[in-house]
Amino acid sequence: MRIVIAEDAAVLRELLAQMLTERGHEVCAAVPDGDTLLAAVAEHRPDVTVVDIRMPPTHTDEGLRAAIGIRREHPGTGVLLFSQYIETKYATRLLAAGSAGVGYLLKDRVANVAEFTDSLSRVAAGGTALDPEVVTQLAGASRRGDDLESLTAREREVLALMAEGRTNAAIAQTLVVSAGTVEKHVAAVFGKLALPASEDANRRVLAVLRYLES
Amino acid sequence: MHESAGERPREGARAEPSRRFSPGAVLRAPFTARAWAEVAYCLIGFPLTVVGTVLVLVLLALGTGLTASLVGTVLGLALVVAAVGLARGCAAVHRRLAQGLLGERADAPPRLLPTGKAFARLDARLRDAAGWRSVAYVLVKLPVAAFGLYAVGWWLTALLNLSAPLRWAVFHQRPAAGEAGMPTITPIPFGGGAPHSTSFAGTFVAAAIGVVTLLAAPWFTRGVVAVDRWLIRALLGPGQLAERVRSLEESRALAVDDSAALLRRLERDLHDGAQVRLVALAMSLDMAKERLGRDGEPVADPARVRQLVDTAHRNATEALAELRDLARGIHPPALDDGLSDALSTLAARSTVPVELSVDVTQRPTPAIETIAYFCAAELLTNVIKHSGARRTVLRVAQEDGLLRLRVTDDGRGGATLGAGSGLTGLQQRVRTVDGRLDVSSPSGGPTAVTVELPLHA
Repeated sequence: MRIVIAEDAAVLRELLAQMLTERGHEVCAAVPDGDTLLAAVAEHRPDVTVVDIRMPPTHTDEGLRAAIGIRREHPGTGVLLFSQYIETKYATRLLAAGSAGVGYLLKDRVANVAEFTDSLSRVAAGGTALDPEVVTQLAGASRRGDDLESLTAREREVLALMAEGRTNAAIAQTLVVSAGTVEKHVAAVFGKLALPASEDANRRVLAVLRYLES
Repeated sequence: MHESAGERPREGARAEPSRRFSPGAVLRAPFTARAWAEVAYCLIGFPLTVVGTVLVLVLLALGTGLTASLVGTVLGLALVVAAVGLARGCAAVHRRLAQGLLGERADAPPRLLPTGKAFARLDARLRDAAGWRSVAYVLVKLPVAAFGLYAVGWWLTALLNLSAPLRWAVFHQRPAAGEAGMPTITPIPFGGGAPHSTSFAGTFVAAAIGVVTLLAAPWFTRGVVAVDRWLIRALLGPGQLAERVRSLEESRALAVDDSAALLRRLERDLHDGAQVRLVALAMSLDMAKERLGRDGEPVADPARVRQLVDTAHRNATEALAELRDLARGIHPPALDDGLSDALSTLAARSTVPVELSVDVTQRPTPAIETIAYFCAAELLTNVIKHSGARRTVLRVAQEDGLLRLRVTDDGRGGATLGAGSGLTGLQQRVRTVDGRLDVSSPSGGPTAVTVELPLHA
């Protein structure tokens, strides 16, 4: 993968670049703020960018705004936002233009480098990677509590993994069950929640999130 | 070492340009915009005052009379209330006039909006202190306005006398034979007649009197207006209690802002500091773990693993240091043993030598101690960062029921209170407990910052 990193804390920026390089990826640029990020993306046309949300000068949502700009101008470039808190509002804004090639993770997730790189690859390939925290927050605030109650514990796990942007194969791997079993659970979830059934992981993410948000 | 208190700039000590008497100022006075504005104020103010005073007086007299007669008590009280309301209206007119022409700003007292039953509303209106102060103003204003009109008279007589030669020579206003001569008008209503001009040369005597009157007129006007200004400040402002409420509201807002800003800074420091360090720590440990491989397998790249563990260790140490600084920033542990111990620790950590003296007999409340400590810390930081001083003196003393903290240094001076200055932040924090902060820092030094705090918040 060809990657551009935007993170204002030098310690983390360098460590991320080292880690990705060691895993055989190419880090085209590692920059400290939103403006230089946009310039770097225009110059290098990377497969994916890793973007911190809070960056100079205002330390609010520079990264998010840069990310939305990248999605608009370079649709082929995936964007993985990461930050120290999950704000569902940010997730909603990010996903407003579709869920293909976007991700939003808690910064803590880089502590598991293998899983973090997996998420990054998924985003680079046009998939979605949402932090479990996003799903938890949406489900917690959802007024559809009664509907969710009707799901079995396993079905709820599957729902959460779908919302995070995982494919059936990935869900099967995570839960250590067969692909067939996952398909059965997915069908049950769609049936119980009256969601439009879809095999496409990205469209599934949006369907599930809209359901949880409403 | 200690400068006298007189060197400190104090509020209200600003010298107004008008207070400087010089021959030039005396000669220019009749031709200044200020003098004319004051004349206009007197001219416009007089009829307004007469109408207002008469109406208020009539209403008050009728109201009081009716109330006393017991028969028309209700109507009488209503008239009194109307008088007070009218006086408030007059006061508003005078306030606007004074602000427009004199630049005299008096904040209007809050509007009276009584609620409840009729009797409660009547009661509130009768107890309207600001309204009664307006009544007082409207009544006292009448003689002042009369003097104002008289002052305008001085200007008129001055102009008339000045024009005497002109009138004689050009307009032929000469006395006929046998008359006493052309009269000179005097602004002073007693003391006999002024000389009458019987010849063209004589008219210049009148003109000279005109010049003197013209030079005196602005100062007379100013004197009358000064009395009016004083009355406006005393009677038309929001009143002491309302002032105090306003100042308390302001300091409460400052206190709330201050604590919100503190929390925001804490969050920011954690976010940019310790949290980043811990993420990096966890990340490098995970990377090292991957390199170590599974149990029993040989380690692929021991040098890189050592490097990663080293990075992790460094980040852990940094995170610890940042957390310690943060914790001390919230509450310095030494403060539990009193200001003296805490300030000794602070002074010992300073890179500029600090001569410390603390003389506190009665311990202030913890909140005051904390504010005093953070003021001292911030002021010493300023000395180290900006002053270039070689030594600094930190004195804390208890005088007249106040805690007085004073930081002086021999640096380059030039410290100011103003937008964006760290001192302003300190001043706001000090004001939250009714304290004050004064800065004396002429360019070239020395700088002295004095903080006065009450002993109890």
